[in-house]
Amino acid sequence: MERQIEKQRPTWLQRFWAITRYEMLWNIRKKRFIGALIFAFVLATIQFALPALFNISENPYFAITFSVGNLSFVLFAIVTAMNSISGEYESGTIVPLLTKPVSRTMVFLGKLFAIFLTILTAYAVIYIYSIVGGIVVYGPQYNLQLVPLALIGDIISTFIWVAIVLAAGSVTKNSLLAFLMAFGLFIALAIGGGLISQLSDNPSGLNYIPGSGVSGTLNVSGGQNITVSNITVNTLSSVSTGTDSIGNNMVKVVLYPTSNVSFYHRDIFNFTAPPKLLFAESMGLIALRSIGVAFVYIAVFLFIAWYAFKRSQVFE
Amino acid sequence: MEPAIETTNLTKRYGSLTAVNQLNLKVERNTIHGFLGPNGAGKTTTIKILVGLLRASEGTARVLGQEVHVDQADLKLGIGYMPELPRFPKHLKGKELLDIYGRMYGMNQLERRAQIPKLLDLVGLKGRENDLIGKYSKGMQQRIGIAQALLNSPELVILDEPSIGLDPVGMVEVRELVKTISKEGMTVFVSSHLLFEVEQICTHITIINRGVALVSDTLQNVSNLISGPITLQVEIVNLNESVIAALKNLPYVKDMTKSNNTLNIPLKTFDDVRAEISKTITNAGGIIVAMNTKGHSLEEVFIQLINKTQGGKP
Ligand SMILES: Nc1ncnc2c1ncn2[C@@H]1O[C@H](COP(=O)(O)OP(=O)(O)O)[C@@H](O)[C@H]1O
Ligand SMILES: [Mg+2]
Repeated sequence: MERQIEKQRPTWLQRFWAITRYEMLWNIRKKRFIGALIFAFVLATIQFALPALFNISENPYFAITFSVGNLSFVLFAIVTAMNSISGEYESGTIVPLLTKPVSRTMVFLGKLFAIFLTILTAYAVIYIYSIVGGIVVYGPQYNLQLVPLALIGDIISTFIWVAIVLAAGSVTKNSLLAFLMAFGLFIALAIGGGLISQLSDNPSGLNYIPGSGVSGTLNVSGGQNITVSNITVNTLSSVSTGTDSIGNNMVKVVLYPTSNVSFYHRDIFNFTAPPKLLFAESMGLIALRSIGVAFVYIAVFLFIAWYAFKRSQVFE
Repeated sequence: MEPAIETTNLTKRYGSLTAVNQLNLKVERNTIHGFLGPNGAGKTTTIKILVGLLRASEGTARVLGQEVHVDQADLKLGIGYMPELPRFPKHLKGKELLDIYGRMYGMNQLERRAQIPKLLDLVGLKGRENDLIGKYSKGMQQRIGIAQALLNSPELVILDEPSIGLDPVGMVEVRELVKTISKEGMTVFVSSHLLFEVEQICTHITIINRGVALVSDTLQNVSNLISGPITLQVEIVNLNESVIAALKNLPYVKDMTKSNNTLNIPLKTFDDVRAEISKTITNAGGIIVAMNTKGHSLEEVFIQLINKTQGGKP
């Protein structure tokens, strides 16, 4: 007796959605994720409160210069991606998963998309909170239509870390190691980058590593000055060139498409000395470069993650 | 039609250890094929190659007419696989798991709604489908493991030690289940380290030890290789001629021997016929006070087989 059941081959979209669902049900039930969300809310709240401490009661640019923040980028990347692949190996759930009619590439893409959806949702909620909070604390806000640009920028910044965490997890098959590698790299780059930008006469190499990059001043008027021990920072005109500030920089390109950013070297051992002008760059170049650098990192690390996953054997 | 499974000189090495050694395995369609061997024999390794989780070091494997490689999504449409001691995402409910896996098979909502309750019922998880898998006992994880292997009504079902870790009742249920799914026209390839389990359900047996297949044949031929059939020892009060006559009428009873009150009954079957025998004896007026099975330990069987197939060198 021959068994003759005609089975419909599932479309790639069906398989992709199935994986995304599988992953989403997991992400939203992670306690860590709720923790990261609370953390981001606390940071956002501090951002409302901090300028107010310097007696700034009006800042119409608050919402469009808001960012979830670089520490949150790493944390969200870690909590959503750290065991996305390696956790499946650690728990053994990879065995039933990879013996379903889904290719590894599909599993990878579905998981990646679920990470994207999760982070997008979290950031959207935080941004809405920042707009509402910004209006309450600092009065009416300008150019709210640019907020989505800032949000997209933050997601791109976060995905550098998502890619790094995924690659580390996929290669080592160890979630804890993935977490330590990504977070260690973040700390190392933050400290190293901070030192270089303070001490070096030529910090432009910082533009090419993930982080805050080089700080400069946008030659525009407006914004609010905050002065702390002789250093005046303008809430609107301060620019960071690194991959952490993609959202902010995209907003500034739209607002001031032809403006330039000047970079100074300040002697940290002698605050009273006037800052020395190093060079100037156009805002457009800065934004484009940071996006380009981010996408190179994202592409390289996602490729490593995918390739290691695709090639792996399941030993258990 | 090509065999459900066919391997040619399949070899898998872990470093210097050869877990599977030049294995030639053939599983015909519509059979229940037992893959028998002690722990560490290479059963799981073989199965993992068949389902594309491991790469063979040498040789080839064909499943459902296709050569197996790592990462072939469509081939999995025809295979249901239950891993050894399967583990599923703890954060999913039993029903959610089957629903999501069903989606991966491309089952639409109607099909999933029809199939999932049926399977939950079949494996005895009805009423627990809304519990998180993290809260399932080991036995329940085995059961959901069987359910997910049958989700797509696959042509070939591969079960890796399905009754390991189950209580005796659960083991019997699993055996019945395997027979049921085989009747529905699926080919079943089931691994086990328990001889009696394989004997009770399989039509064909491959015995593997240290990665080498010792014998692969129908159950009957394999059982002939193994010394003599199973013998039942029954102790009967008032053992009389009518009891003996009644037993001799049973088709699977061979020549009996009698010592005092004990009958030694060699059986020509591997089915569990103890209930029938006891009924026969009771109906003929005998009173049973003890019944034992004199089987063969797996070790005995292996020693015999190794002697027969390899001239005594293990
Ligand atoms: N990932 C692994 N790394 C090294 N050796 C392994 C691995 N998996 C299994 N083995 C070894 O391969 C042999 C066969 O194992 P396995 O296929 O699991 O046997 P079985 O399923 O028959 O109990 C054993 O000696 C086991 O120790
Ligand atoms: Mg095994």
